[in-house]
Amino acid sequence: MVVLLQGKPVLLSRKDSGHSYSSVKRCERPSDFVNYLRQALEGVISNLKENSGKSNSKMSGCPDGTMVYLVFDNLERVRDWDKCSTILPFLFNLYDILKMPEVGLIFISNTSPDTYYLNVGYVEPVPLYFPNYTEDDLRHIFMVNQANRKLYAAFLDVVLRPFSRVTRRVDELAAALSSLFEKYCEPLSDKQVVPNEEMKRKLFSQIRPHIASALNETFHVQSQPLLRAETNKETKKTNSSRVSGYLEDSDKIDFHMSTSAKYLLISAFLASRNPATLDASLFDSTGVSDSRKRKRKASEKSMEQKEMAEQELLMKGPGTFPLERLLAIFQCITSLAEDSLDEEESHEPTTEGGSRGLMSDVLLQLSSLCNANFIIKGGSCPLEGSTRYRTAVSEDIALKVIFSTSVL
Amino acid sequence: MGREKEKEKPSEKALNLLRSRLADPNFIFKPLSDSPDSNYSKLKFIISTSVTEACNNSILLLGPRGSGKVAVLELVLSDLLQQYPDVISVIRLNGLLHSDDNCALKEIARQLCMEHQLLFSKVASFDDNSQFMIAMLRECGLAHKTIIFVLDEFDFFAQGKQRLLYSLLDAMQSVNSQSVVIGVSCRLDVDQLLEKRVRSRFSHRKLLFLSPSKEDTERFMEHILSLPVDSSIPQNYTAEFNGRLKKIISDERFKELITTYLSFNFTIGHLVRFQAVSYMDLDVGFLSLENFKTALSSNQRQSKLECIREYKSIHDSSQTSDNYAANVCLRAFEHLLQRQLISFIDNKGHNQSVEFRPVKLLISSAELHQGLKSSHQCPPVTMLRAARTHLENPSAFWLLTPQHLYSVMH
Repeated sequence: MVVLLQGKPVLLSRKDSGHSYSSVKRCERPSDFVNYLRQALEGVISNLKENSGKSNSKMSGCPDGTMVYLVFDNLERVRDWDKCSTILPFLFNLYDILKMPEVGLIFISNTSPDTYYLNVGYVEPVPLYFPNYTEDDLRHIFMVNQANRKLYAAFLDVVLRPFSRVTRRVDELAAALSSLFEKYCEPLSDKQVVPNEEMKRKLFSQIRPHIASALNETFHVQSQPLLRAETNKETKKTNSSRVSGYLEDSDKIDFHMSTSAKYLLISAFLASRNPATLDASLFDSTGVSDSRKRKRKASEKSMEQKEMAEQELLMKGPGTFPLERLLAIFQCITSLAEDSLDEEESHEPTTEGGSRGLMSDVLLQLSSLCNANFIIKGGSCPLEGSTRYRTAVSEDIALKVIFSTSVL
Repeated sequence: MGREKEKEKPSEKALNLLRSRLADPNFIFKPLSDSPDSNYSKLKFIISTSVTEACNNSILLLGPRGSGKVAVLELVLSDLLQQYPDVISVIRLNGLLHSDDNCALKEIARQLCMEHQLLFSKVASFDDNSQFMIAMLRECGLAHKTIIFVLDEFDFFAQGKQRLLYSLLDAMQSVNSQSVVIGVSCRLDVDQLLEKRVRSRFSHRKLLFLSPSKEDTERFMEHILSLPVDSSIPQNYTAEFNGRLKKIISDERFKELITTYLSFNFTIGHLVRFQAVSYMDLDVGFLSLENFKTALSSNQRQSKLECIREYKSIHDSSQTSDNYAANVCLRAFEHLLQRQLISFIDNKGHNQSVEFRPVKLLISSAELHQGLKSSHQCPPVTMLRAARTHLENPSAFWLLTPQHLYSVMH
């Protein structure tokens, strides 16, 4: 029997002996849910008792070992629901509400029981604690079903310790270790070979530089693995540069964006990271304002203060900007870009609406960038009433985008 | 099946018997209800007088969770149903499910229909249901039948406008009915929550279910765990089992254990869930003091400190200082969030990316100190240490963000 809880409308679906869902009932209220659940459970229990031949009339009413267990997995997600203050006590009290001794409730959660304390209170379920895996446990787990056990054991000896300092979760480790193991086995022609000490040392020295970079990419979701494999083959010559930390491949962004979207992203980044007062000096093309500034000798203390202020600004995160400012910066950047493009391709006749081509659907681009979470739409300023935006990309992604445009 | 039963060791039979006892609330609360001034007798008296004298009544059963309110009520009701068949019908409502008036009336109508074999219509409106209920009350009153309303989690019914309570109690007063309203709640002040018009119609009878005294607890444990002499278990085993049990119970260390356990969980319900019985070693065949000790230690709360100790055990003996990249730190940060050692300050702050949302530390600095006693180098632990140093800095005026933690760590 399977029970699906989806927020307040609760689905109760019934599974017959053929392991398919035979009927689904939808109910909005917990009282209906309990009634349907009770009916369904009584049906299931009487089926079970008939099948196991225990349906003596004098035994009915006494518990005789037939049990139905309701298992609730990932219970910590319920805490994030809107109605969690009513659903959690309801779930924990479900046993008392049903009053059926043949029904057992099992809750699986990855947070400790004291994160579930609510005002209402309930009789706490019996806790059963599963501690984290130790390194030995992890070794046992990963050695299961390995084709070449000695080789994998040698690999684990080298790799497991640093990785288990980062995470002990089997799903994350498995993903990280599998790709590293392929790299480990690369120089071996025969994958079934049992390594001796010398071979182990050689393999270790070959894999060692990759461990550090792989550690930092433990949680990195690989996009387009096929393309990456091909570029690896091409850029084998640049292996040395890879080791020294200057990664050429990952300097490229691995998603496709149109040029205007890239410029929009860059202008959003600039708008967020620079205060509005700097705009004039940054984007003023005439260069007149410079002469107005009195060049004072900056004292050390003021330099320090300036640095701290910058640091603080960096810590606080990106600021918000209104739409007009974004468009103004965008216009500045694209006009510069247009000029440089024109210089390069001066032999081609410039198209009529050249600069307008980039500006035409900028609002559409903006909304698609918002949907892709590159730009976040914030609250509106109460005085002006216009919506403000905020950038959501970090500096390195912004740099990557800049490199990928042909301006620089 | 029969052959298996013969081969069953007496210890297994004893274990099964004890387990079935512990799961049966009737058995647990019967001995506590034998004396004449127990809650059981008082409740039984109240309800039976209102049945025999054809009057209305209302009563509140109050006490912490697990102290046996509903169990004693069920005992009383089952006795009365045997004593007066066909005169009593019971309607059960639960505050968690039926706090909404529409729901509650629908449920009352449904249960009344089930009791009296009438057809229940699911599309009946609120007014239809309430008229039906009043009509039924009148009919039952005329026929000298008592309806008992059991309102579990009574404090939920006292939220909001209390329409159901008012209509129920008002119907009891105005219509010629015989009914008893029994409210069960774990809030001891629930009658203060009632509105004036409801409270005036409510008789202020309260029965308090409090935890038993020390001697009663010991007597209770002995009663629960001693094997009966007349069961199918061989006599000599029973005698030895009971003898050993007596020795354990009179042991000072046992008394200490039980006092420690009861200082956290002080009701009978909790005592019964004390799992010493499941730790009984079947080879030895008898309960021992060690079983109780193991049960106590496994029952201690797995608090968040355990999570920190988990991180502690991840550390190496080799003091390598790893410089972790931003995404590793971010994932470590998310792990901390998951374990609820830190949490976001405002849940609505979705217009900032994760790295810049301020968080607060959910454990006290003393707990943090306790959990971080040795030096380790794994991301969540380093983060927590960074959090600690940040908190100790009095000049820091902005709240902790992941970006800040990351910069402090490097």
